[in-house]
Amino acid sequence: MLGYLIKRLIQMFVVLWVVSVLVFVMMSFTGDPTYMMVPLDATEEQIENARRILGLDQSHLVQYWRFLSNIVQGDFGRSFVFRQPALQLIMERLPATLEIVFLAMAMALVIAIPLGVYAGANPNRWSSRALMAGSLVGVSLPGFWLGMVLIFVFAVKLQMFPSSGRGPTSEIMGMRFSFTSWQGFLHLVLPAVTLSIGTLAILMRIIRAEMMEVLKQDYIKFARAKGAANRFVLFKHGLKNALIPLITVFGLMLGDLIAFATLTETIFAWPGIGKLLVDSIYRGDRPVIVVYLMFVAFLFVLVNFIVDVAYAFIDPRIKIK
Amino acid sequence: MKNLAIARLTRRGLVAAALTGAAFVGPAFAQGKSLTIALTADAVILDPHAANELTGNIMFYHFYDPLVQRTPELEFRPGLAESWQVVDDTTWVFRLRKGVKFHNGDELKASDVVFTVERLKKALMASLVANIASARAIDDYTVEFKTPKPYAVLHMALAEILILNEKHTRAIGDEQVGLKPMGTGPYKLAEWVKEDRIVMEAFTDHWRGKPKIDKVTFKPITNPATRTASLLTGGVDVIQDLAVRDVASVRANNAFNVIARPSLLNIVLALDTRDKSPTIDLPVNPMKDRRVREAIIRAINVDAIRTVVMNGFSTPSDQYVPASHLGYVPGLDIRKEYPFDLDKARALMKEAGFEKGFTMTLDTTNNRYVNDGPIAQALASMLSRIGITLNLNLMPRANFFGYIRVPSDKSSFIMSGWDTPSGDAGNMYNVLLYSRGKKAGYGQANRGAYSNAEFDEWIDKADATSDMKQRHEFLQQATRIAVRDIPMIPVHYEQDIYAAKKNVTVVPRMDKFIWAYEMDVN
Repeated sequence: MLGYLIKRLIQMFVVLWVVSVLVFVMMSFTGDPTYMMVPLDATEEQIENARRILGLDQSHLVQYWRFLSNIVQGDFGRSFVFRQPALQLIMERLPATLEIVFLAMAMALVIAIPLGVYAGANPNRWSSRALMAGSLVGVSLPGFWLGMVLIFVFAVKLQMFPSSGRGPTSEIMGMRFSFTSWQGFLHLVLPAVTLSIGTLAILMRIIRAEMMEVLKQDYIKFARAKGAANRFVLFKHGLKNALIPLITVFGLMLGDLIAFATLTETIFAWPGIGKLLVDSIYRGDRPVIVVYLMFVAFLFVLVNFIVDVAYAFIDPRIKIK
Repeated sequence: MKNLAIARLTRRGLVAAALTGAAFVGPAFAQGKSLTIALTADAVILDPHAANELTGNIMFYHFYDPLVQRTPELEFRPGLAESWQVVDDTTWVFRLRKGVKFHNGDELKASDVVFTVERLKKALMASLVANIASARAIDDYTVEFKTPKPYAVLHMALAEILILNEKHTRAIGDEQVGLKPMGTGPYKLAEWVKEDRIVMEAFTDHWRGKPKIDKVTFKPITNPATRTASLLTGGVDVIQDLAVRDVASVRANNAFNVIARPSLLNIVLALDTRDKSPTIDLPVNPMKDRRVREAIIRAINVDAIRTVVMNGFSTPSDQYVPASHLGYVPGLDIRKEYPFDLDKARALMKEAGFEKGFTMTLDTTNNRYVNDGPIAQALASMLSRIGITLNLNLMPRANFFGYIRVPSDKSSFIMSGWDTPSGDAGNMYNVLLYSRGKKAGYGQANRGAYSNAEFDEWIDKADATSDMKQRHEFLQQATRIAVRDIPMIPVHYEQDIYAAKKNVTVVPRMDKFIWAYEMDVN
């Protein structure tokens, strides 16, 4: 286990380093951010001055070296635009994103599991076919379109939910959350539904496919033969054996939603990290982009690690080495 | 069974109500008028010396005051300074209002003004004090400014300099200034939740009198359709930048007003006037010839751009600056000098020896100005009719401003926007049309390398007088020359479109800086 952990840690550092190099190289092609910070009529002197203030007066190599050595000391750099530590900018927006993503993933799981098991157990019923057709629609619906439709129907026409924003928040351990109040929760619903539809559809399809596979196995036949209840056969013997691929995909989707909920956040004016990424790209705010993408890489490594550990818990035949 | 369900529902309702009441944290506000305004973006930093973007600017003028204030119509009136006089060509004395209070109770002193100027000189926005050589406090309420050269519109430039509290700023440090603004302005910051809301409370001791609205909330809603939806659902009272496609439907709704007004942003085309142009594969640059430049302006149908591309929401420009500015010549209209006329344009091309036309590239943005991409396409099709093949080089603004930067050695034809909130054409002419490299601080954005000694001379004269009337006349002369030479083609002013509930009085400002102090709710 320890050896495995160390191997994973080394892997993580390599991944983070590669990401930082890639982003730095990419950003060196996107033009000099100084021109976005200074007024259009700035003189050469004023531009030089601004470059010095932003730390852009050195060559890319020196800038990269400075960036790396600062990271080793725990300093992830400062945003050109906000003049605040880049990591702090991400961290103060993270709770908002986590909130909708976790709600979305919970909704997706709660709905996808029973429907997927049902469709897998009864693949030939028309209701199963309808579910599968519906899931295809769910996979292919673009999030921004769905978001707009939900706003139009549920906020503008029916006035059931607020159209955008975060609503009242309360602080828990220094982080702000909306779910603690009814008003805040109402603000959560539409963006969470928008995020969950795609994931829900994919999870449902995977569960169905796996269930169809598992239900052909001998141990299922045996369970049925000994007279176990249908529900027990499906969920205890069937679903548990179908979980491994589900968890893999679930982990990837989770990371994906946290990192790139950008469109949904923009449409619902949700103050999360995805919007920070887009704005930063737009403004050429390199320190934030680098740290953001490194954070995302870290997140994926972490999620994969948790998924690996989860394998061992679900399937005792798997050992972590 | 049914009764039980109702009982359960009611209980849930009660719990929800209790939660809402209990969980709402945030500053408590006295009962009074409140207003919620949706903007297109959140502010990035609330330090007025560290950023120059619209949302930030809107916030700054709520928390801070300048010495001289701009009205919505771009007139200038006393702000923190109650009067001023020009002592000699390069010396100005400003008398401060007495008894002006900062939000923390400190009184405004001349030392705060001097501190502000000194701080700005080292800040990112140092260009704001380029025309101030030094500032000195004569006594607690009198400040003397020295300008590096005679500058007749110093008071107008001061409208963009917001005064900080020296003691407070030194005590909390630069980073905190960006997070916790504290000035003399009509509103105090109550709460800033990044990307969600900026809440401000009226500052009851404001020197001009207590604001009519007690609590103002700004919400960043980037997506235009979401902004409209927020207005329709009552989540916000006023929205900035109503999407053009929503104008008709919001206007048809009795509960809302749509307010549109021309902005200061003039979309201009810079024409290369060098001997050889980077994207034109000819031994000489055709646009060096004034006749070709005239042909180009005559081939561009700005009214068609207005109706087809801009859905009617643009105002064709008559000169380089609007009528409110120093240097504007009443009665002169570049559209009347060179009306849209393809036959005349073709004849001019033939006269200049370019009957067969030529090929060049237009550099512009695809995400900075309203419909910038479609305008570029319209220009290409219009110019093709006089034989000019226009290749389009569209790029995001992150690349654009570095790409076109003088010496603009990759560009022949550039479309960009320019606004001069200072109310003075000189600011624009110095930078955009004065000969390059002749004097420091002049011609640094002269993208077409236009150079006319006569033009430069009028600018020199304007910058050598401290008399505003004279400056106005000299700049008018420069305007006449520019309209004659056509070094740059002004296309149109963009329009700002707001929508608001009927009970809200919105005062749209020429400089786009929404200011709650001028608004009211009934």
